[in-house]
Amino acid sequence: MAIKHVMVAVGAFSNSLVPAKYAIALSKQLQARLTAVHVINEKVLHDLLKSRVFVEIEARQYQRDLEEQAGLFMERMQKLAQEKRVALETVIIRGEISVEVVKKAQELQADILVMGELKEVFSTRDFFYDEGERLFRRNCCPVLVVKNPVQVETLFNEV
Amino acid sequence: MKFTDFLTKDCCVMDLKAETKEDAIRELAGVMASRGLITDTDDFIKHIFEREHLGSTGIGNHVAIPHCPTRSVKDLAIGFGRSSRGIDFSAVDGKEVNYIFLMGTHPEHLGLYLKFLAGLSRLLADHAFYSEFSGVGSPEELIAVFSKYEK
Repeated sequence: MAIKHVMVAVGAFSNSLVPAKYAIALSKQLQARLTAVHVINEKVLHDLLKSRVFVEIEARQYQRDLEEQAGLFMERMQKLAQEKRVALETVIIRGEISVEVVKKAQELQADILVMGELKEVFSTRDFFYDEGERLFRRNCCPVLVVKNPVQVETLFNEV
Repeated sequence: MKFTDFLTKDCCVMDLKAETKEDAIRELAGVMASRGLITDTDDFIKHIFEREHLGSTGIGNHVAIPHCPTRSVKDLAIGFGRSSRGIDFSAVDGKEVNYIFLMGTHPEHLGLYLKFLAGLSRLLADHAFYSEFSGVGSPEELIAVFSKYEK
């Protein structure tokens, strides 16, 4: 079965450039459709409101900041994709990261999900609370975990 | 990244001298700045006070978590202060505050900061954790309790 649609899950910060660049290079080589998905983590904001660490106005401000950062990251990724002449579709959604990415991968019939390196697991608690772990385990299509930023940079420069 | 990667014993003050919320924040911020976690203490304190004006961060059960994102913080900064006499924080339950977690983040680390804030509030709501946490006598013991519950 050919890989026709690559989906990459990205955060909003520089460490997400590694899976982003890998996904662009992979799509270029496979001539596959590429979609980048970012999820604004609303669950954490809801939890902080519930525990009264946040007040409403503050949670709304954080949501705006997170949306702005996500938009800026997607613009940056779009430029990288254009540089390699790869068409990139970007999706920003709200909700629980692992739930929304899995839903989107099914909805868009992605053939492979690319994601950043999983964090070192220190405890069983991490298995339950780390969104990367959850996404890795919950996703239905094959998952490719990108490691070694130096190698990724070389690959990206070569394609 | 774990909470205890950022909560270090040299930023834990086990006997705050301050008697007011404002002085407690200043005292803790001073300690954090002296350890190089904050680049502009006045600006950091200004942002913390602005957040407090929106509503008290005294979340109840003798705990307050004053916090803010600001470029005056290098990465992600956490300070802990304990006041045996208690401080009026206008907390949601009206009780005096004995435990203060002062947290700030550079906007670049917003995601991690939100995760830590949520994790901390979840831990503080855990009766077993709170019981051990409220009985610690030294920064080393405090970090040991957090490490234990992170496992």
